[in-house]
Amino acid sequence: MRQEFLHRAKLKAPVNVTWEVTARCNLHCRHCLSADIGGFSEAELGFDESKALLDALKRMEVFQVNFGGGEPFMREDFLDLLRYAHEQGVTTCISTNGTLLTDAIVEKLRNMDLLYLQVSLDGATANTNDAIRGPGTHGRILEAVKLLHRHCIPHVSINTVVTGANFREIGDLYDLGKRLGTKTRLSRFRPSGNGKKAWDELRLDSLQLAELSHFLSDHPDIVTGDSFFSITAFDRRELGLNMCGAARMTCSVLPDGSVYPCAFLHDGRFLAGNVRTESLQSIWDNAPVFELLRNTRVDACGSCWRFSICHGGCPAVAYFLTDALNRPDPECVASFRTVLQPAPTAGQAYQSP
Amino acid sequence: MDNLSYHLHPLVRGRNESFGLLFYNTRDTLLTFVRCGDLLRIGPAAGGISRLEVHCGSEAERGKVRRVLRGLAQKGLIVETGVSA
Repeated sequence: MRQEFLHRAKLKAPVNVTWEVTARCNLHCRHCLSADIGGFSEAELGFDESKALLDALKRMEVFQVNFGGGEPFMREDFLDLLRYAHEQGVTTCISTNGTLLTDAIVEKLRNMDLLYLQVSLDGATANTNDAIRGPGTHGRILEAVKLLHRHCIPHVSINTVVTGANFREIGDLYDLGKRLGTKTRLSRFRPSGNGKKAWDELRLDSLQLAELSHFLSDHPDIVTGDSFFSITAFDRRELGLNMCGAARMTCSVLPDGSVYPCAFLHDGRFLAGNVRTESLQSIWDNAPVFELLRNTRVDACGSCWRFSICHGGCPAVAYFLTDALNRPDPECVASFRTVLQPAPTAGQAYQSP
Repeated sequence: MDNLSYHLHPLVRGRNESFGLLFYNTRDTLLTFVRCGDLLRIGPAAGGISRLEVHCGSEAERGKVRRVLRGLAQKGLIVETGVSA
């Protein structure tokens, strides 16, 4: 995919919208990126307001809504919301911890064609997963994945936030996914929400990031949701978006209807508006903070040999670690390549050790 | 191309953008960006079917559109529907 023009183009609407439909959750994960939205639970959009937002997504020709939270299945009307989204022709992707899934719920999901499910699991072993997601969750999550498999739900992936705690189990998680008939999806640990507090303990070090880059190259069937473009090797650059999509391809809606550029920038400075008082289209078109994101250029990366496959990386990570959006992603492999090996010449693929 | 018409596959969504067309495949959630300017446009949906409208004059433009249509059809994003009126 030749994507250079996308860095300058402004789409008329998001491609997908991440919607944290509730702040309520039955788990308390140590790295939860949404931990800061807990105060929004009182002001959750009601069912009619939620339907109105889905109507707006249809009008805007948004293709996909990513439902998250909190735990989406904590909402009593969540299945009705899903059904309504599909009636509007909007594909849905649910990020769930899986622990609230029952036979009755999954039977209803089975009839939904435009549905993708990501079940979160943060370790191949109970010790590793439960230390992050809570005691007893490993077994409950695996039961949920097996339940989905028994009901022949087609688009299921196991999603793992890669941290220093589970890094050595990524291969086992990949094998586990194969055995359970699911895709493996790896997500980046970011210093937002609870991740701020756990950052120093759980983040990957530079050698692990390089090894992960190599592992992803060897496993092109692993989905990364584009979150790892800071370490994407040349041989994966055609597999996804090679730049930050915040305010360009996506935006994020919180339970109370407030809108942010992405799910990792839920910080008051980046509030773009609220769908209760302004249409999402108007926010997309006019919010100054969205223009700020679209115009952010990481000038320090302009001459880097990797610029075409990351465009400076994730501004959210740069913001939370350096207090500036336009700084190079601190976890970019280019920033520590000299520690690992001599820099490649222009056009040459980076080989991690 | 000149006598054929095309519509979007029923499992594919698409929309017009300033650079051309943007397709979304519901079968795998993958996006396809087509930089064709106004040469191709997605018409209003009728009966659940969205047709592709071709707007080209010169032979060079026709050649480009032929290649684009062939690629989109190979990817399963559009479907040939027969001879247009």
